[in-house]
Amino acid sequence: MSLWSFVLRRFGRGILTIWFAVTVTFLLLRLLPGDPALAVASPNMTDEAREALLTQYGLNQPLIVQYGLYLWQLVQGNLGVSFTQSIPVLDVLMQRLPWTLLLTGTALVFTVLVGVPLGVLAAARRGTGWDRLVQIVGVTGQSLFVPSVGVLLLFTFGLTLGWFPIGGAYTNGTYGGEWYLSVIQHLVLPATSLVLIQLGSYVLTMRSTLIDALGEDYTTLAHANGMPPRRVLWKHALRNALLPTTTLIGLQLGFLVGGAVLTETVFAYPGIGRGIFEAVTQLDFPVLQGAFLMLALTVVVINMLTDLVYGLLDPRVKTS
Amino acid sequence: MSAMKGERMSSPTDSSTDTGAGPDAGTTAGVDPAETAAATDAATGQPADASENAERDRAAVASTGAEPVATESLRASAATWRAFRKEPLGLLALAVMAVLVFVAVAAPLLAPYPGSYGDTVLEGPTGAHWFGTDSLGRDVFGEVIWGTQQSLLVAVLASLIAIAVGTLVAVVGAYFRKLDGPISVLVDLMLSLPVLPLMILIAALVGPSTTTIILVVAAFSWPEVTRIVRSQALTVVGLPYVDAARLMTTSPAWIITKHIIPAVTPVIVVSVVVTASRAVLSAAGLAFLGLGDPNTWSWGRILYEAQQSGAMSSAWWLTLFPSLAILALVLSATLLSIAYNDARNPKSRRR
Repeated sequence: MSLWSFVLRRFGRGILTIWFAVTVTFLLLRLLPGDPALAVASPNMTDEAREALLTQYGLNQPLIVQYGLYLWQLVQGNLGVSFTQSIPVLDVLMQRLPWTLLLTGTALVFTVLVGVPLGVLAAARRGTGWDRLVQIVGVTGQSLFVPSVGVLLLFTFGLTLGWFPIGGAYTNGTYGGEWYLSVIQHLVLPATSLVLIQLGSYVLTMRSTLIDALGEDYTTLAHANGMPPRRVLWKHALRNALLPTTTLIGLQLGFLVGGAVLTETVFAYPGIGRGIFEAVTQLDFPVLQGAFLMLALTVVVINMLTDLVYGLLDPRVKTS
Repeated sequence: MSAMKGERMSSPTDSSTDTGAGPDAGTTAGVDPAETAAATDAATGQPADASENAERDRAAVASTGAEPVATESLRASAATWRAFRKEPLGLLALAVMAVLVFVAVAAPLLAPYPGSYGDTVLEGPTGAHWFGTDSLGRDVFGEVIWGTQQSLLVAVLASLIAIAVGTLVAVVGAYFRKLDGPISVLVDLMLSLPVLPLMILIAALVGPSTTTIILVVAAFSWPEVTRIVRSQALTVVGLPYVDAARLMTTSPAWIITKHIIPAVTPVIVVSVVVTASRAVLSAAGLAFLGLGDPNTWSWGRILYEAQQSGAMSSAWWLTLFPSLAILALVLSATLLSIAYNDARNPKSRRR
């Protein structure tokens, strides 16, 4: 199979994934109860006023026509206009998405920076107290409830010690370097809670894949050749063990971007998850459709990046 | 190529769920790179996980005695139990779980339903109110106790529905090969959806109630079950005894219920526990966002009300106790599945 047909297939797969997410969102919004006219006007509006609103937003056309029009607009890159804010959906999302990407990206970098060495430590000293400790931390980390961790951090470091701000993404009225500093300060607690939540999976995956890699023939051969154990561990075994971690990153990041809504709620962080929640309570259909499209797009892009990294890490993928 | 596609889409989730399921976890993830390459080489259209895992799973089936012979499996479950008894963490988890179930069932005996206003508002833990009182003066201990009932109910029902649907789809797909392709594409697509935001959307539109929560959580949990059970079922379907069964009967329903489902039962057991603990977290998450049942106490609702009333910052007991309850349930479920995996599978015990 040639490289191009592989790329083409992956691309088709991505389009299919996006179409599926978009369609599911569209159908859920149209078929579940919930009157979007209520989102813009008072519940006491007259029937005529309601009709006029629905006509204005094109919501009284047959479902299939609405769907066709929606897809047609989408292909042209038109996401529509927000019901409640009367500005293009893209603008609404672009106020939100960068914050979520900053938050989840930072969390991811630190999770990998902490998680991979911890997993290596546990695997290299298998059966010792260190290993046991890392395993316990890993399993506990996987059982944490996001808001609990967030509130604990908020309570300890935000309120009691006063080291970090307790909500928002930046301090109003600051400019230049000061503004960047405030962004970093606001980032610390939410990012830390996301790191704590994810760390478990990374540590445990790293540990068990590395243990498998250390049991392979090629590591035995490397040892037999007199290569220093440290070099065998970090250079030979780790490179193979990183592959599943790469897939984990691809998958987790997609989840994280959507799942950050809980963290964003605790810390009043103006990200896309919180944006979705607010759009849901306002029944702002265009914003919701746009937001779910963005999430699907993020997942697809991340998966493609993962594939790329996979190819770089594992020469077998490229040749086959 | 289709093999590789399927593998790549499913492999990431492999590592994430399996790590949850225990030390056995990485085994699956660990094989991945090699598997991917092997699968591409072969390109037979045979799903990758089937061929590669075949040997390991056959070993697992043999060692656990998941074979559908009554006496055999009885002996095997006795052996599993003997091995399980030697796991202190597993026993501890079982005890915690038993306490939680007891609390859930005996809730009316342990504490009166905290519905009305109390006279002491936001009081720390005392002899009268072990876990303190909330901003309306209600007893937090009672809220946590009754919340246990709700959380366990949601966990059990949501995971049962998800397991039933997920297993059915998986075995039907594995048995009728024509359906397997579409089913695995559907599962992959479902798994790539942003689950939590969609749950929020549905719960908000349909209106918050316990039934809604259960159905919503189940609706987004079954694809994970299908993915896990499917790879095991594909292996089983290829085993000679299933071919032998095909000679005995023409009824696929009989073969599926008598031969395939018993063989995938160990995977299902682990899946139940993992799905249930995820259901607890999802339900608590929805309730924390204010999308839980407003008429029933749940752990998430205590946290939600604490945040709404602004008491979260001062009254630590409002968040600590429900958080501990969630941690106790999810952690014991996770440890239980690890211990079960270890007891069942001597290979992972060595680790």
